[in-house]
Amino acid sequence: MTDTIELLEAIGSDASLRYASADILNGVLEQTHASAELMTAVAAGNGASLRVELGIQQVPQTPQSPTQLPGQEPDEEEEEEAPQSERCHSDHPSSLSFQ
Amino acid sequence: MTNTILPSLNVPGRGRLACVGLGMTLGSHLTPLARSHIVQADVVFAALSDAIAEEWLKRMHPDVRSLQPYYAEGKPRIKTYREWVALMMAELRTGKRVCGVFYGHPGIFAWSPHKVIEQAHAEGYEAHMEPGISAEDSLYADLGFDPGRYGCQHFEASQLLYCERRIDPAGYLVLWQVGVIGNRSVGRFDAGLAYRALLVERLGQDYPLEHEVIIYRGATLPIERPRIQRITLRELAEVPLTAEETVVLPPAVTLQPNRAMLERLQTLDAREKEGAAA
Repeated sequence: MTDTIELLEAIGSDASLRYASADILNGVLEQTHASAELMTAVAAGNGASLRVELGIQQVPQTPQSPTQLPGQEPDEEEEEEAPQSERCHSDHPSSLSFQ
Repeated sequence: MTNTILPSLNVPGRGRLACVGLGMTLGSHLTPLARSHIVQADVVFAALSDAIAEEWLKRMHPDVRSLQPYYAEGKPRIKTYREWVALMMAELRTGKRVCGVFYGHPGIFAWSPHKVIEQAHAEGYEAHMEPGISAEDSLYADLGFDPGRYGCQHFEASQLLYCERRIDPAGYLVLWQVGVIGNRSVGRFDAGLAYRALLVERLGQDYPLEHEVIIYRGATLPIERPRIQRITLRELAEVPLTAEETVVLPPAVTLQPNRAMLERLQTLDAREKEGAAA
């Protein structure tokens, strides 16, 4: 059986495979002896079965930036909830980064 | 692609830091330079959105340390981010080449990469950030709009509640982290829907409640397609949303000409023509 992570990397980096239909992609994967879980994932269009195969849980994505609290630098942010009235009183703009 | 014609330069014993982005989609977005930072590092820290992506990263380096376990229910996220910075700095101070790997772009909606680079610079270490393909980049491609055409504003959703901000409904509006609006700790999310209702009320000041709203989530695995759901602004108040979903409001009004400025431009052009003719 070919390694599932390697196959995912190969699919992700190949222009002919990345947007191939599930049927065509599974036809290609069948020839490489891909795992049943990977082929199920391709058919379903999501990775739930892969997490079973790899023995990992999908944790909910957590933001990597603090909730914007205007008037405070993020590193000065209080660890407890600030009163609502104090969340937008600053005379200087926030320094949080944006896309 | 790996460089095979030149030797890599490494200064032993001098710590160096790079924060890189893994991009959004496994196998598709990692840049050659970001991969090189990962491969050449002594230790790699990972804050990724998908455990499968973390498994992929482990194939690139034997010492990948996940930052995910530092989140905890009820623990303020900022405390977790500070711990991440401390972990990376501790390794840097021992003279190691440290690589922090973050999903998407390491400098977008990510506090600790900016902070650790700032701290590393302050202590005299070489440190920099390598950009990655972000959710925003994927969004333009998948939704098929160009932010340059009508303009595009981006806000972290909570900011629209806490601050007076001017929304321009003639351009696109992209709202991030709507699914966790008002939530500052992992697992504490009681007021989410109530906050969301207020967000819809705020948006209702600039858009009709029947205006189209797009809920977008990019593909993180290459066997996935982006998720694109179209609803109305009214429905945004109650639709289930996760942290990784982004809300996009297309323009609601047409661009209006700035007549005063156009007249002044015409005057300038006319003067230029007169000058050229003289």
